[in-house]
Amino acid sequence: MGESVISAKSVYKIFKLGEEYVIALKGVSLEVKKGEFVAIVGTSGSGKSTFLNMLAGLDRPTKGEIIIAGSHIERLSEAELVKFRRDHVGFIFQAYDLLPQLDAVENVALPLSFKGMAKKKRTETAIELLKRLGLEKYMKHKPTEMSGGQQQRVGIARALVVKPEIIFADEPTGNLDTKTTIEVLHILQDVVHNEGNTLVMVTHDNNLASYADRRIHILDGEIVYED
Amino acid sequence: MRFADKLGMAWNSLLKRKLRTMLTILGVMIGVASIVTMMALAEGLNRQSMEMIEQYGGLRTIEVREGNGQNAQNSDASGASPSNDPTQYKLSDSTMETIKALDHVESVYPVLDFQAVIVSGPYHMTLYSGQAMPLEALRDMNWEFEEGGWPEEGDDLKFVFGNLVIEDFADSRDNIVYWNTGKPVDIDLMNSKMFTILDVQAYEAQKAAKSGSSGNTGSTESTGSTGTTDGQTGTSSSDQASGDGQQSTAPVVPKKYIIPTAGVLKGSLDDYMQYSWNTYCDLDALQRMYKKAFKNKVIPGQPAKKNGKPYKELFYSSINVIADEIDNVSELQTAIGDLGYQTSSNSEWIEQTRQQSQSQQAMLGGIGAVSLLVAAIGIANTMMMSIYERTKEIGVMKVIGCGLFDIQQMFLMEAGMIGFGGGITGLSLSFIICIIINKVTAAQTAVIPLWMYFASVVFAIIVSMAAGFAPSKRAMSLSALEAIRNN
Repeated sequence: MGESVISAKSVYKIFKLGEEYVIALKGVSLEVKKGEFVAIVGTSGSGKSTFLNMLAGLDRPTKGEIIIAGSHIERLSEAELVKFRRDHVGFIFQAYDLLPQLDAVENVALPLSFKGMAKKKRTETAIELLKRLGLEKYMKHKPTEMSGGQQQRVGIARALVVKPEIIFADEPTGNLDTKTTIEVLHILQDVVHNEGNTLVMVTHDNNLASYADRRIHILDGEIVYED
Repeated sequence: MRFADKLGMAWNSLLKRKLRTMLTILGVMIGVASIVTMMALAEGLNRQSMEMIEQYGGLRTIEVREGNGQNAQNSDASGASPSNDPTQYKLSDSTMETIKALDHVESVYPVLDFQAVIVSGPYHMTLYSGQAMPLEALRDMNWEFEEGGWPEEGDDLKFVFGNLVIEDFADSRDNIVYWNTGKPVDIDLMNSKMFTILDVQAYEAQKAAKSGSSGNTGSTESTGSTGTTDGQTGTSSSDQASGDGQQSTAPVVPKKYIIPTAGVLKGSLDDYMQYSWNTYCDLDALQRMYKKAFKNKVIPGQPAKKNGKPYKELFYSSINVIADEIDNVSELQTAIGDLGYQTSSNSEWIEQTRQQSQSQQAMLGGIGAVSLLVAAIGIANTMMMSIYERTKEIGVMKVIGCGLFDIQQMFLMEAGMIGFGGGITGLSLSFIICIIINKVTAAQTAVIPLWMYFASVVFAIIVSMAAGFAPSKRAMSLSALEAIRNN
């Protein structure tokens, strides 16, 4: 565990709301090493999601630099960011956000199709991954035919399928009941510890954060402490 | 992203909203159907007028008549001055060869106009519009016959009458014609005994002399008693008007011939066709007949030398030139005119008709296009709705790495598929409509031109994609972050 895959240096983000400027991030710095499970914890409005979006290359900082997997992502264009995400980043959403018209296998295979992989190969890859996550029986199910936990497992598979260097998860268990939440967190822990992935998770819940290796606490746009 | 994958995604999202997709396609279908049907109507009109021109002497035919050399483009001024030879711009076999050598000439045939008087029983008729042509050219007309047919190669002279020629007969006793009575004369052109006088001038002179010589025998020439009827062209002895001592130069009494009828062209007395008033015969047979009948004299209608002797060759009344293509007619016509001959063709008429039908097509197509425009707006609307609905979905796809242009292309493909569906169904619809129209009008009123089958579908796709362009651009530029926040 040496090299850092995420390196954020004094990142500022200022939004303009009407006439007023809102400072969402006030010089946040963070280093995440390969194979770490990091939780960013904070209340609603603390700036944690803004920070995550910036790390994931969905948004650009007003000031500061962000180096992820060796790329200065604050300097990339929109099209380059898409390519960057496609090649280096996996996403897990709070509301799973699977495409409703596609079944589980097709949803998981989707990022591979963006890469231009042939249908046969990407389907095989997706099936294998879904099996590992215990979804053999739901391969051909559409999202509406699955429970929240099952959908989120499909979502995790979709994030993992491109073998990303970093996985970002924004409140991945926000829509799940307690039992399923724990199941999903175990899966995430497993993904990090057994497969050497790097995971950055945003949550407002300290209990959930306790599954992570490191917890970064954010309040009003600043890192207050880390444990 | 692979093309097939994008196509599949686009197809999927259309399937997901079947009803809306169908309604949008319906709009395009109506638009395409109205354009295609309108264009088919215009095309039908166009073809009808072209057919009419065809009936009036062909679309590719140029009629060449003898000229006075006015338009001649004499490149070599050194040659003999053209005015020396009075036959220079007359139409002979060598003229035919010259024209044949020009570009864009498909075929050339000569026409010799002739006149004759036909007498049958108490009736007579002066036939002014006889046309002798090579048999081949006659057959190429593809005319239908009421009775009989064209003469055979090598036959002696035989006539083919137009369906209205019989109306020209007049009763010699009272000069009453068909136009006075409305009843056709009692002559069967195929079987009645008819005598033909080839020298119309002599006939007229004789007639004038007769009416001038008071109280002479009424109408001896009409008795028909003198023909030696050994079948075909036996020369008949003619009665000599020898007794008229008053005139110093007694008119020559023309010879009568029995010339059989080969056929009568199709049509009732009410039908007018291009051929209706004409009489046709084989040029070769007529020439042989003339040679026999006029030996060393000048054939009626032919020029004479200054000393009154006939020329060796025969000069034609006109030469019909068939161009290889309609588009080359006017060029060829100019080329022949430059040789110093007079020319006429339907090319100006064709050009006019074309322009007219083009503007008709444009107008009718424009009317149809209005509904396609409405359909295009419908497409834009549908796509816009679809994008609003799928903002989140588009955002997610962007976040997990779908290329911006891939997104745009997927939306364009959706629009294109709607266009394709609407194009195919619209084409089928108008195909059915055209069949119905043609059934009802019992004519080819609506004809879908061949290129239209292809063009209408392509056009529908292009219009649809154009309508889908702005929405697709919008989908592409949606901020991924905004999109995933949108719940």
